[in-house]
Amino acid sequence: MIATALTTVVLAVLAIGAALAVWQSRRWLAGRPAAVGVVAGLRALPGRYLVDVHHVVGRTPFNARFHALVAGGFLAALALLVAMGVAFGGSRALWLLLAVVLAVMLAGALMVRYRRRVLRPRELSQGRFARLPLSLLGFSGCLLLVALDQALGGVMPEALALVLVAAAGVALSDLVWGVWKGPLKHAVHGALHLAFHPRPARFHDGAGRDTGLKPLPLAPADETEPGTLGVERPVDFAWNRLLGFDACVQCGRCETACPAYAAGLPLNPKKLVQDLVAAMDGQASDAAYAGNPHPGRGVGKAHGGAALPLVGYDAMIHPDTLWSCTTCRACVQECPMMIEHVDAVVDLRRFQTLELGATPGKAAVMLEELRATDNPGGRALTRRWDWAADLSLPRLAAGGSCDMLLWVGDGAFDLRVQRSLRALVVLLRRAGVDFAVLGEEELDCGDVARRLGDEATFQSLATRNVATLNARRLNRIVTADPHALHTLRNEYPAFGGSWTVVHHTALLLDLITAGALTVTKPVGRSVTFHDPCYLGRYNGEIEAPRALLDAIGVERREMLRAGLRSSCCGGGGGAPLTDVSGERRIPDVRMEHARETGASLVAVACPNCALMLEGVVGPRPEVAEIAELVLAATETTR
Amino acid sequence: MSSPAEALLKPLQIKHLTIRNRVMSTSHAPGYGSEGKPKERYQLYHEEKAKGGIGLTMFGGSSSVAVDSPAAPWNQISVADDSVIPFFREFSDRVHRHGAALMIQLTHMGRRTRWDTENWLPTVSASAAREPAHRNTPKEMEDFDFTRIIAGYAAAARRCKEGGLDGFELSAAHGHLIDQFWSPSANRRTDKYGGSLENRMRFGIEVFEAIRAEVGDDYVIGMRMSGDELIDDGLSHEDCIAIARTYAERGLIDFVNVLGGQARDHLAHAISLPNMSFPVAPFLHLASGIKREAGIPVFHAQRVTDLATAARAVEEGHVDMVAMTRAHIADPHLVRKLMEGRLDDVRQCVGAGYCIDRIYVGGDALCIQNAATGRERSMPHVIPKAERKRRVVVVGGGPGGLEAARVCAERGHSVVLLERNAAPGGQIGIAAKATWREAMSGITRWLSQQVTKLGVDVRLGVEADRATVEAESPDVVILATGGRPNRGDFKGADLAVSTWDILTGAVEPTGTVLMYDGTGQHHGASCAEFMAKRGALVEIATPDRMVAEEVGTTNQPIHLRELYKLNVVMTTNHQLVEIYPEGNRRVAVLRNEYTHEEEERLVDQIVVELGTLPNDGLYFDLKDLSLNRGETDLDSLIAGRPQPVQANGHGGYTLHRIGDAVAGRNIHAAIYDAARLCKDI
Repeated sequence: MIATALTTVVLAVLAIGAALAVWQSRRWLAGRPAAVGVVAGLRALPGRYLVDVHHVVGRTPFNARFHALVAGGFLAALALLVAMGVAFGGSRALWLLLAVVLAVMLAGALMVRYRRRVLRPRELSQGRFARLPLSLLGFSGCLLLVALDQALGGVMPEALALVLVAAAGVALSDLVWGVWKGPLKHAVHGALHLAFHPRPARFHDGAGRDTGLKPLPLAPADETEPGTLGVERPVDFAWNRLLGFDACVQCGRCETACPAYAAGLPLNPKKLVQDLVAAMDGQASDAAYAGNPHPGRGVGKAHGGAALPLVGYDAMIHPDTLWSCTTCRACVQECPMMIEHVDAVVDLRRFQTLELGATPGKAAVMLEELRATDNPGGRALTRRWDWAADLSLPRLAAGGSCDMLLWVGDGAFDLRVQRSLRALVVLLRRAGVDFAVLGEEELDCGDVARRLGDEATFQSLATRNVATLNARRLNRIVTADPHALHTLRNEYPAFGGSWTVVHHTALLLDLITAGALTVTKPVGRSVTFHDPCYLGRYNGEIEAPRALLDAIGVERREMLRAGLRSSCCGGGGGAPLTDVSGERRIPDVRMEHARETGASLVAVACPNCALMLEGVVGPRPEVAEIAELVLAATETTR
Repeated sequence: MSSPAEALLKPLQIKHLTIRNRVMSTSHAPGYGSEGKPKERYQLYHEEKAKGGIGLTMFGGSSSVAVDSPAAPWNQISVADDSVIPFFREFSDRVHRHGAALMIQLTHMGRRTRWDTENWLPTVSASAAREPAHRNTPKEMEDFDFTRIIAGYAAAARRCKEGGLDGFELSAAHGHLIDQFWSPSANRRTDKYGGSLENRMRFGIEVFEAIRAEVGDDYVIGMRMSGDELIDDGLSHEDCIAIARTYAERGLIDFVNVLGGQARDHLAHAISLPNMSFPVAPFLHLASGIKREAGIPVFHAQRVTDLATAARAVEEGHVDMVAMTRAHIADPHLVRKLMEGRLDDVRQCVGAGYCIDRIYVGGDALCIQNAATGRERSMPHVIPKAERKRRVVVVGGGPGGLEAARVCAERGHSVVLLERNAAPGGQIGIAAKATWREAMSGITRWLSQQVTKLGVDVRLGVEADRATVEAESPDVVILATGGRPNRGDFKGADLAVSTWDILTGAVEPTGTVLMYDGTGQHHGASCAEFMAKRGALVEIATPDRMVAEEVGTTNQPIHLRELYKLNVVMTTNHQLVEIYPEGNRRVAVLRNEYTHEEEERLVDQIVVELGTLPNDGLYFDLKDLSLNRGETDLDSLIAGRPQPVQANGHGGYTLHRIGDAVAGRNIHAAIYDAARLCKDI
């Protein structure tokens, strides 16, 4: 009787859950088509869950544990209950087994409650999520009593048992109701998202990392259809992107990692995703959102719908929110649901820039200069080499060949960056490296244009740079600019360019290891290394700069946020150009991290980082580009 | 306006030569030559600028191409024979190593030199027209002189090329031989070299054709010339444009280096080397006028002391290269500081003219505020860190004390600076009160900013005594307590006031004033000018043969001009021997230095300038308590070794006295005292 009742309740609720999920799927299936390997994805799903997702979740062990207990217990309990009802009946052994898994789940639920009631991390959403511990406890607790009672032969009055079953059913309903809007939604959508992910290469069964933006076809495939560039409305996203948004469990890890949020810029990546989720509904508003808002912007003012523009002053996403993003991928790095926030931001920016010309602030001016002169400052391309007039850098002409090409990037127009480039050139000379430069034929790599959504300018630059490089024979390209590194290494292949691209930190480490450079004056200072996002998170290179610093004899200290989990300087994604104001400046926040280490110097390995961190006013650690430190440490006495 | 870097850090291409930026130093004559050669001192001086990022450094002002244009007597360079070539090679290697270009100026000075030195040859010129500055009547050049001198130019040009120099310019400015031919004021010939401008240009054209033939079309040759001689019978701006165009269009020159004025009399000379009384870049318009017509790169120097002005000159298209010659004497690293975004750290030339005034009396060029310039072998421009950190107390915030604090802080020491007054600067603050001498305050401004940036604990308004000094537990105590006015020891000396009293405003100048100047320096002349400007009727008396006799040739004419303009009576050759009162007025007794006859002046005020006496009270309070009993070991000081007695770390300190606290001298002496001592602490 109890078993039947239970199974009935469970099956009914699961059926409702399935119905909800199907109903829900209409929302994300409304997106644009996407090429997805359905079978391969489903096959890869368990592995991705157990490896990739757990790799992320495991970074906070407490959370990983309660999640394993609750989810494991819950799924096992459901399976047992269904099995007991459908096939095996209520044997005492099965009841005992059920009691065990429910006890496991109860333990996890208590941990959930402890976290939500006692620890109360500020990034957690409230609202429907606040009821989560109660539902979990209600389901596991009530059923545990019933299961124990049944295992002992059923001493409890049946009426009481039925009341408990009913209570568990209510709790279960609440959990499953969440498939539609609530905590449990993430289970269904998260699993589907893992299977149909827009970047399957990012998982361990692929390349393990996939961070390059994908080309946007600029001409419509079908001449008769005007086609829209980028994303204007929710339905303009590919369906599996919408699915990804629906996977968000509002855990707030992205919020904690986001440098813009930390500086009080109006961007909370969690809210951004939830804005996208809410917008999928017909008459949408963010009123139901119960997490932290975009800083400086309240909740409840945003309105939209699946077929309405997403970005606007009264729309779901305020332009300032969209343009606050530095594309640093900290949110993506932290997201246990594998959501690709930055892709979404760039998709939205593409529409704003390409269709509306609504790129804000100095960014629009920069893009105009870039289109006119192929460099963001609007200067003659010869001026990229002014700083090196006395260095006689060999130019690699079309048809020529060299071992190594030095790609100097747009930092070469900047006084500060010229200093570190000069240091690098002196080091290459000192180490006897055979290298050349492109001279006037080096154009901007297009990184900033692309992150600002100007795919047309990016593609124009990329196509021409690829042609220039392909007209020469070279073994490797070295650059001190991680943005150029990323663009050349990961984004130019789509335009027919494929070379070995190395960051100067890796090259300098090789040169020291090979004995081509000798450390004569160990630095001997306390130094903390600030990982460039485009070197670390985008390319996984976090070891070489550290090994290099160790090799030149620094006393290395780590910031709390370092390596793949480093925090952005604020210089990426065109953020210094869009210049959305917040409570603080992003580099100020980052410099605070550096200050906490007590290090006397922050070593940087990216021109943007150098400029952003050196722009921090007031007493602070010195900022030095890593090549400058290596130069000083390998100085030959004359 | 954009950053100076945008305009200045842009290479300039002249033929095959790429100059890495737009900042240069013009050829000048620092008096560092030895036996007519640019040896180590000369080379190190220019190498420092190359290290400091300069694009082009030109050396050897008025380097001689012929035996009748002597250079060696002024410690300058003779390119008149091949023995100079190895020095050129060493020199160009040294400068090229740092990425800068190196050129020289070649010239024949014609009548603008002396006959009574080196080879004792008569001077030559276009005509036998007397040159006022050198009191010299030249021989009119005859046929073989043309042949010899033109050949001399060509041979010197070859030596430059063989020596690895990037090019050279011929001087046709300041009244040298080529422009002696150009200028109707000096050329009265009636043959093909005189008369029309075309004829007057002929000699120079022949010279350039000869050197072109010698070194070829691919070598960089320039010409230094005036953009307007600024005299009635001289070359007008239009003449100068015509000359520049003619020479450029014939392919004889690759750049023209333009200045304003000429230098045949004292004031003209001072104007052509503008001091702090002039606005910045006073003759930029002349270079700009030639730039518009000449069609070749134009260089220009003349009081471009700051990078913003330099950038404006280039950015607005007036010139292609901007010369900051004296600016580099003050700070040879100014381009590097621009590149490093450290504009605030540039030690800006104040236009005191100390460097150039020294060379016209046979001295070597030294900077009033940078003791390392010209002393690169012994004095560092970038102070290295000390191995051991010490606690240093500096007493006195004048130039010596500030420099001592700066150098000690650069060494990494912990430094306290105690200054009695509410503001630092010492006597500079007084000197700067006198009308056009205001820019002297720039010396204090830079030093104060540097010590603040370096974290020196500057305590103003603190009168130091034994207790305050010892409370700091110093390892080293440096007393730069300066001096006080020397009021003289003649009878009635107490009835006079000092120039300090006047310039600080403690005493208002009124009625008739006798300014008695026993030093011949800036102090008396500038105080007289100050008082006259404030309405007093001023007479300046001096035992010297002229007023401001010790002031150099780029400054003294300005003093005299201003004193004449203000109707200041100038009485030379008279000693002040006594003052006595008459009612509430004063009578000054002046005795003629030569006849010993006495004259009297009945005046309302008598102001006396006799230099300073040291403030040494604190020194003698501390002397016997110090480890070294106040003695600075002179042999170690000169050799650049640490002082033999060092603080031992067990209490006790060494004591040093510098600047006017030892004996009244000048700003450079105080700064050199400080830097030379402290660089080894």
